[in-house]
Amino acid sequence: MKRRSIHCLESFFPDVTRLRQIVGRAFLFFEFNKVAITVFTVALICFQALMQETFAASAQEIITISGVVVDDQDSEPLPAVTILDDSKKRLDVTAVNGSFTVQVPKDTEVSFNMIGYTAFRRVFNASQTNVTIRLKADVSQLNEVVVTALGIKREQKSLGYAVSIIDSTALTNAISSNWTDALSGKVAGLNLVRNSGPAGSNKIILRGENNLTGDNEALIVIDGVVASASGSRSASPSGGVYGTSGDNMPVDYGSALNDINPEDIESVTVLKGPGAAALYGQRGANGAILITTKSGNTKRKTLGINFSQNITFEEVNRKPDLQREYGQGLGGAAYYSRGASADGPNTNSTSSAWGPKFDGQYYFQWDPELQNTGLTRTPWVAKANPIDAFFKRGYDSNTSASLDGNINKTNLRLALNHNENDWIAPNTGYERTSVALSLNSKITKKLTLSGKATYNNKNSDNLPTTGFGNQAYMYWVYFSQPNVDPNYYKDYWVRGAENRQFINITTTTLESPYAISYEYLNTQKRNGVVGNIQLSYQLAKGLLAQGRVSLDQNKNITEQMRPYDAAGAKFAQGSYRIQNATTYEKNADVLLKYDTKINKDIQLSVTGGGSMLRNEYRKGESRADGLKVPDFYDLSNNINPIISVPDTSRYRFNSVYGLVSASYKDYLYVDVTGRQDWSSVLASPLRTADVGFFYPSVNMAFIPSDFWALPKTFNFVKLRASYSQVGSGSTRAYLTAYNYLPANNGLYPNGSTANPTILPALNLKPLMTTTYEVGTDVRMFKNRLNVDVALYKGNTKNQILSRVVDRSSGYASAVINAGRIDNKGIEIGLNGTPIQMKGKNSFQWTATATFSANRNEIKELLDSSVVLRNSPIGNAQVIANVGGSMGDMYGLGFVRSPQGQIVYKDGMPQIDPDPVYLGNSIPKFKTSLGSTFSYKRVSLSVLFDAQFGAVGNAFSLARIGENGKSALTLPGRYNGIIGNGVILNTDGTYRPNDVIATNIPAYYKTVYYDNAEGTMFSTDFVKFREANLAYSLPSSFVKNMGLSKVTISGFGRNLFIWSPWPVFDPEFGSLAGTDIVTGFEVGQLPSTRTYGLRLVVGL
Amino acid sequence: MKNIKIKTICIAVIGSFIISSCEDFVEINTDPIGNKTTSPAQLLAPSLVNLLSVNMLRGRTFNNELMQVSVSISDAEGTVNRYAFRRNWADYTWNGLFSELTNVRDIYALASQPEYQSNSLMGISRILEAYAFSILTDTYGDIPYSEANKGKDGIVEAKFDRQKDIYLDLFKKLEEANILLTAGTAIPESSDPVFNGDIAKWRKLGNSLYLRLLLRISGKTEVASAVIDKFKEIVNNPTQYPIMTTNDDTAKLLWTTSSTSTALYSSPYTSIRGLDFRSAISKFFIDNLRDWGHPVLNNAYGRNGVNRWGISTVGGNLVGVPSGFSPGSISSGQSAFYSYDNVPGTGTANAGYSLQVDPYTGIIMNVAEVDFILAEGILRGWITGSVETYYNKGILDMIQYWIPTYPAANLSDYMTAADIRWEDAQLFEDRMEALHLQKYYALFLIDSQQWAEYRRTGHPVLPINGPGTSFANGGIMPARLYYPVIAQTANRDSYNDAIAIQGPDEINTQIWWQKP
Repeated sequence: MKRRSIHCLESFFPDVTRLRQIVGRAFLFFEFNKVAITVFTVALICFQALMQETFAASAQEIITISGVVVDDQDSEPLPAVTILDDSKKRLDVTAVNGSFTVQVPKDTEVSFNMIGYTAFRRVFNASQTNVTIRLKADVSQLNEVVVTALGIKREQKSLGYAVSIIDSTALTNAISSNWTDALSGKVAGLNLVRNSGPAGSNKIILRGENNLTGDNEALIVIDGVVASASGSRSASPSGGVYGTSGDNMPVDYGSALNDINPEDIESVTVLKGPGAAALYGQRGANGAILITTKSGNTKRKTLGINFSQNITFEEVNRKPDLQREYGQGLGGAAYYSRGASADGPNTNSTSSAWGPKFDGQYYFQWDPELQNTGLTRTPWVAKANPIDAFFKRGYDSNTSASLDGNINKTNLRLALNHNENDWIAPNTGYERTSVALSLNSKITKKLTLSGKATYNNKNSDNLPTTGFGNQAYMYWVYFSQPNVDPNYYKDYWVRGAENRQFINITTTTLESPYAISYEYLNTQKRNGVVGNIQLSYQLAKGLLAQGRVSLDQNKNITEQMRPYDAAGAKFAQGSYRIQNATTYEKNADVLLKYDTKINKDIQLSVTGGGSMLRNEYRKGESRADGLKVPDFYDLSNNINPIISVPDTSRYRFNSVYGLVSASYKDYLYVDVTGRQDWSSVLASPLRTADVGFFYPSVNMAFIPSDFWALPKTFNFVKLRASYSQVGSGSTRAYLTAYNYLPANNGLYPNGSTANPTILPALNLKPLMTTTYEVGTDVRMFKNRLNVDVALYKGNTKNQILSRVVDRSSGYASAVINAGRIDNKGIEIGLNGTPIQMKGKNSFQWTATATFSANRNEIKELLDSSVVLRNSPIGNAQVIANVGGSMGDMYGLGFVRSPQGQIVYKDGMPQIDPDPVYLGNSIPKFKTSLGSTFSYKRVSLSVLFDAQFGAVGNAFSLARIGENGKSALTLPGRYNGIIGNGVILNTDGTYRPNDVIATNIPAYYKTVYYDNAEGTMFSTDFVKFREANLAYSLPSSFVKNMGLSKVTISGFGRNLFIWSPWPVFDPEFGSLAGTDIVTGFEVGQLPSTRTYGLRLVVGL
Repeated sequence: MKNIKIKTICIAVIGSFIISSCEDFVEINTDPIGNKTTSPAQLLAPSLVNLLSVNMLRGRTFNNELMQVSVSISDAEGTVNRYAFRRNWADYTWNGLFSELTNVRDIYALASQPEYQSNSLMGISRILEAYAFSILTDTYGDIPYSEANKGKDGIVEAKFDRQKDIYLDLFKKLEEANILLTAGTAIPESSDPVFNGDIAKWRKLGNSLYLRLLLRISGKTEVASAVIDKFKEIVNNPTQYPIMTTNDDTAKLLWTTSSTSTALYSSPYTSIRGLDFRSAISKFFIDNLRDWGHPVLNNAYGRNGVNRWGISTVGGNLVGVPSGFSPGSISSGQSAFYSYDNVPGTGTANAGYSLQVDPYTGIIMNVAEVDFILAEGILRGWITGSVETYYNKGILDMIQYWIPTYPAANLSDYMTAADIRWEDAQLFEDRMEALHLQKYYALFLIDSQQWAEYRRTGHPVLPINGPGTSFANGGIMPARLYYPVIAQTANRDSYNDAIAIQGPDEINTQIWWQKP
């Protein structure tokens, strides 16, 4: 990707208010633009008619030129090259063999144009035959042919909707263990919701959340295969993220999407709006990410071998500020004593650190040698920070080799990849191996067979448990005491009771993180295949038939092992659970495409097709909770009967669709699409009909630069507009029938059942998203500045959402069709080359910038207010209200005076018993800036990105605030603190707070723990996202070694984060079932910076 | 010609898709794991376990703390005993019981259908409804009742009913249950872990529960005379209204001794961390038992040198924590409940010594409570008889529940030594105190009955607001718990209607039966 930065943007970048004003103006412009473009287009068409007459008047001697247009590099003929005269009148388009014939007046300058190539101009003064025109590839435009919906390749020029393309180098420059991380900051309007950890999943959301809950992710398509099976996350099913009283806590086993080797990716096309993805129907309502994997190079004459090796290190990049000044103890404790001692009674049975200041004194403390309280007093000092001491430097090695070439009429590519990850927590990580094969064979002139298949294998001996509870690392981090050396926790078994009883350093049953790493294991073995076979047959001239079958299948075996005395002894006798899950999605589709030229100016392409999709998920789980013999994890080692917990889901979609594309000359393009879906998830015993729904889309592109001779500054100008509807029946099965389920996971032997806790929607309807979009693509100064702007507006009706209901209804949540949400936004992408010195290999600076903003408003709801999510702390909830916006958070907050100041009473802030508005969890805008500097064989690229305008609730801070671990709790110890606010006088007026709060623990508990507002923080950030310094060895030198290329680079990701967010990464998500939700941080694992070296060798 | 061929292919391909579009979609979209319907008996066992789980767990963290049984000394969440707690701690009872009432009410609905007709299950459902709804309304005051658990019928925002209406309707349901259970139609034994299908015992439980509820609202002037008449009618017609008379009648679910919290019929207490289970015992609670020489603290009646209630000693002494102790002021070790994994001398996890893995903790209602109800009925002059007889029986039944081998002959000596013999000559209030102090121990671990009885009678007198203590809420016993915030937001209109009538959603807003 080559982009250019705009200096004015850089200058106002940090100025948030100014940016907001600009966004506001942009919205006004948007309204205006919609009307303006329509008028403008009509006017242009009228103009054109006039001009044609004008030019017709000045005819003179006509000459005929014929010949062929070829690629300058490999002399292959180039079809579809547009030939224009000097008045931009279209003369001809080259045929499949590159041939052309034009008739022009003598001395006309004729230009040969093709996207991706530099236009070639030549004046002809006599008739000529067998002319060979050699077009040079324009490196800055190579990706202009894009893959669109259903795998149809289109010239980007002709598209009436926004598309972004990311090429492979952008994904591999600064490689990450989850390649989707690399999408950050590269596409305007793309958001990642991420869960941290070695296999951490990402959720990709385009243009803000259309849907209030559940299905709001972009569709992932790998080589035309809808990869929803691979895309599904596989979290361990049992408990929630807040797990002090729950079951096994969730483990993020990652999605198979993470397993794709970035080295195998040719390009990623992002279809942002529903307009672009309308043909994908259903799940395309939230946009689509099309991944094209590499194929063999058709032009290659010899066998090509590529080898790459990445070595990456990983370390915590940011952490909460833990205080190191006071030790364990309750408020006002005058001394510390582990157990009763000469100093006084035991003070060790507290989780708090409101104890004595580290002041050089000596107390009776833990003695690791004795595994008990020491016999003598030892110095009372702060020990190592638990985060620094426990988390180490992670290591990741990624080796890839690929082979590509042509054998007879078949070209193929075979790639192998091996990845080993050793994460920052001891004994965690995974290894991954993949084999990718791509074949493309021209069997006859008319029949082409192509196939791609990728096999992935992922193994892990242990992946970390997420969330906040005894089984998770972060629980220990936040409860460990400043006076206890983290190293003490390495010796975690009671001597003589190994594998049976854990030691208890602070008498609060705090799990040792080393025990979690080595004894609480979560394993995974996943095997997956993604592949397709495609057959295309040229039935007749212009008529192509294509059939394709694809499969995405994953088999995932996971285990959770819990030792005796686990989880604060809730698994007193340990536990062993194993899940065996199979997911597959099969897709078969046929496509008929007919291209025809109605006349010289109008071309028409008609595509019709149909598809059938089958998706099934089946999981068996066996639980042996309670083991006869400790440390032996096998189902046969069960004390209690084995419990079997099955889970399943399946759905089918059948669809027919059509696309008509028409072009008029080379400056006006119109697409009309329609799609009818039948979705099984809408079928209900009450209603078998009506599972189908239809939706259309129209889009248009107009190229003024090909219509008029614009000033030379403008190389290319496109205006585009689209209207689209997309329906969706969601992909959650079994929401339409009332279903009794086995009680307590089938615990009861006699088939006991229970009512469901989720109320189904017996009459579920599809949701419908309608979007209007306009945009422009302008390239100026010899393509050195490209600007792409998209404005969109639309709404989603009949949201399918899961609503939290009060338990007095008898249920926990209800599936409903509700509401209408209006959504609008702007996306700007800029790229350019501010500096381009003359000559090959001279200094060049290319820059890119993106900006996106999105606003939504809830217009209609079934009820005035619908609760969507709950948090474990301060009763925080995400609530949808008419007039509000998605992501609005409410919860307990402070009582405030009419002037908005916090009201204090007796020194303590007062908590309002009614929930108050706390802010919105969805960023108002996001932006990024990137630059690449290259000189000769060295290039340096950097990328920064930022988001503004959202808040989040930091549960971790609530805990470290309440128990005195956070540095934020230092002020006031122990002289008291006067909170910033007012006091209500008896006469109803307010005066500034003048009462000292002396009970500091109670004060901070009130501030951080007894309400949600105290732990609401801005999630604004600026991140130094990527850096890459690459050096290519001189080709002469390389050739001497018998190689074709050698590149060495050093890179870094997430190097720095600047943010007011108090915990780790402001871009957090928490696992909730198989979803990742925003807004509430709960025991987030540390975010990391990665840096490493990359070597690429071509043979 | 060629075009026609192409068109035919086109139509055939597209047509085949349309035809195959929705033939078996209903079947596809049917969850193969569940069932469209179920038999009422299949709903019973998990309902009983889950109702008891909620009541035991919340009884432990709320009732026991409010009523100064135990004092959680953990500073994190340990202030219920000082009457200061966060609003959302009150959610658990609401969420747990309402969820389970869906199954309870469904048992009645299903058992009414010809397919699964069972008078016994209908009657059991009514009793469990009265059991769970009475705990809910005693905890919160006005609650959704007539429209509750009707999400399936489209009501997800149930209106709140007045407590009076709820009580009067529960009486009707208990009357109905008494009739439905008369025939004693058999139910599958395995579906009933409480009485193993003994319908006569269910009937006794229903009528005993009836007495509990009548007594609870008997102080309310507007209903007092009708309630007292009904009380008399039940007690005086044991054939028509059989009630519990022996410990054999006590409604309990015996747990296994497994320490695996997810095992079948393991005690709900096993889901609590050992650390948390080791709550310190309050001085009030333990001093009485110690001073009386109560058998439950007598190691001879316990196991392996640990007393029956698994309370630890400090240097051989039973030491309680003073009510309302200031945080950080505990100056010495305290007696606490043993957790299953902290057994003196062993250093290893071992089941069988602690109440955490004791089979006897799952009590719905016991005969001792009935004894004390009758004693109070006599004391108040509603029925005839000897208070002392029932008072003594109550004390013995309570001891024998925990220690079945305790010889009845020892009772007299114990009571004399403890100086707790009934004295008719005392003032009414003193007699009430004596009776309710014993009832307080008889109600140990039974959901939140101690709290409800305290709110009704003011007995036993608790050592609140003593010198040097720090109680929140002015040392006033909370009259009720907060409604869950989710009720406030997800059922906003009904909530607002309810507090407009009942009063602010605060812990000192008295519920209907508390006011005269």
